[in-house]
Amino acid sequence: MYTLLHGFYKYLTQKDEFCVLILGLDNAGKTTYLESSKTKFKKNYKGINPGKITTTVGLNIGNIDIHRVSLNFWDLGGQTELQSLWDKYYAECHAIIYIVDSSDRERMNESKKTFEKMICNENLTSIPLLILANKQDIPDCMGVREVKPIFNQNAHLIGRRDFMVMPISALTGDGIDEGIKWVVESIQRNIEMRPPKNAEDY
Amino acid sequence: MGGFYSYFKSLFGDKELRILILGLDGAGKTTILYRLQVGEVVTTIPTIGFNVEQVIYNNIKFQVWDLGGQTSIRPYWRCYYSNTDAVVYVIDSVDRERMGIAKDELMYMLKEEELNGAILTILANKQDVEGCMNVTEIYQALGLDTLKNRTFQIFKTSAKKGIGLDEAMDWLCNTLQNHK
Repeated sequence: MYTLLHGFYKYLTQKDEFCVLILGLDNAGKTTYLESSKTKFKKNYKGINPGKITTTVGLNIGNIDIHRVSLNFWDLGGQTELQSLWDKYYAECHAIIYIVDSSDRERMNESKKTFEKMICNENLTSIPLLILANKQDIPDCMGVREVKPIFNQNAHLIGRRDFMVMPISALTGDGIDEGIKWVVESIQRNIEMRPPKNAEDY
Repeated sequence: MGGFYSYFKSLFGDKELRILILGLDGAGKTTILYRLQVGEVVTTIPTIGFNVEQVIYNNIKFQVWDLGGQTSIRPYWRCYYSNTDAVVYVIDSVDRERMGIAKDELMYMLKEEELNGAILTILANKQDVEGCMNVTEIYQALGLDTLKNRTFQIFKTSAKKGIGLDEAMDWLCNTLQNHK
C-alpha cells in the first residue's frame, strides 16, 4: 500500500527533466537570452545586467520549471575555436535553440554554415531545432521573413525534425515566452525518440 | 525604514565572498593573489600552507585563499572547502605533461559535496609564453565537457603581465552577485 501511494505521489509531483542547448555564433546574444529566460520564468530572479555580460568561454547553466517540465539550459561559447566543443553535448540534449544576430547581415552566411554543420551530426537526427532571430529591437535588422528563407535552404538536411524560426529580442524580452512554449511542446512530441533525463526513475 | 535598509545591507552588501585559488604547484597561484591585492608582481617561493588576503574589487570584498599546490599538501585542500563561493583553478598552460594530473585533481575536487554550489573559474595562466596551450586544448585536456551542472568560465591570463585578471574578476563579481 505504501509503495502504491508513494508511487502515486511521485507520479503526481514528478517533473520530466530535459536539456536544452543554446548555440549560435559569438555575440549572437546567447547568454543574454539565457538571463532573459531565467528572469521571466524564475520568481525572484534578477538577471545579470545585460551590459555586464561578457564573451562566454565555458558554460553557463540555468534551470526553469514550467508546469510539469523542468528545462536545463546549457549556454556554450560561440567563438569559432569553441565550436568544436559543441558536439560533446549533442547526445544528451533534447532541443537546440540556435540564436542568430539579425542585425549582423555580414555574418548571416557564416551563421547559416555553422548551423548546417551542426545539424549534420548524427546525435541530433531527431532533435527539435528552434532558430531565434535575435536583436529585433535594433532598427533595420533582418526580420523573420528575411532570416527564415536563408535557413530554409537547409530543408533537406533538417528533414523531419521539428523546425521553427521566431523573432525575439533577448534584451527587451519580446518573444521569449513563445519560444520556450514551442520548445516544451516539441520536446514532448519527441519524447519517444529522446526520453527525459530522469526516465529511469519511472 | 532606513533601519531596515541598513539591516539588509549589512546582511548582503558587506558580506565577504570566499574564494579559493587552487592548482598544481608552480601554476602561479600566489603571483595571481598578490597581483589582485597589490597590483604588482611579487617574488614568490613555493607556498607550504596558505596565504590569505582580503581583496576589494568593484566594492565587493573577497577573502581570497591561496593554498599550496605541491603533491604532498594537496590532500589538505579539502579542509578549506566549506562555505566557498567560488573556486579559481589555475593552470600552467605550458605544462602539457602534467595536464592529466591537473584534470584529475580538478575532478576529484569537484566531487566534494561542500563545493556543490561554488562556481568555477579556470585561469589558463602563462599565456605570455610561446607554445602554450590554447583555450580549446585546455578545455578538452581538463575534460570540462563532463561538467554539465556547473557554471564555469575559462580566462586566458598572464599573471606576470597582468593580462586577463580584470576580466576574470569582473565575471566573478557579476556571476556571484546573481548566484546568491
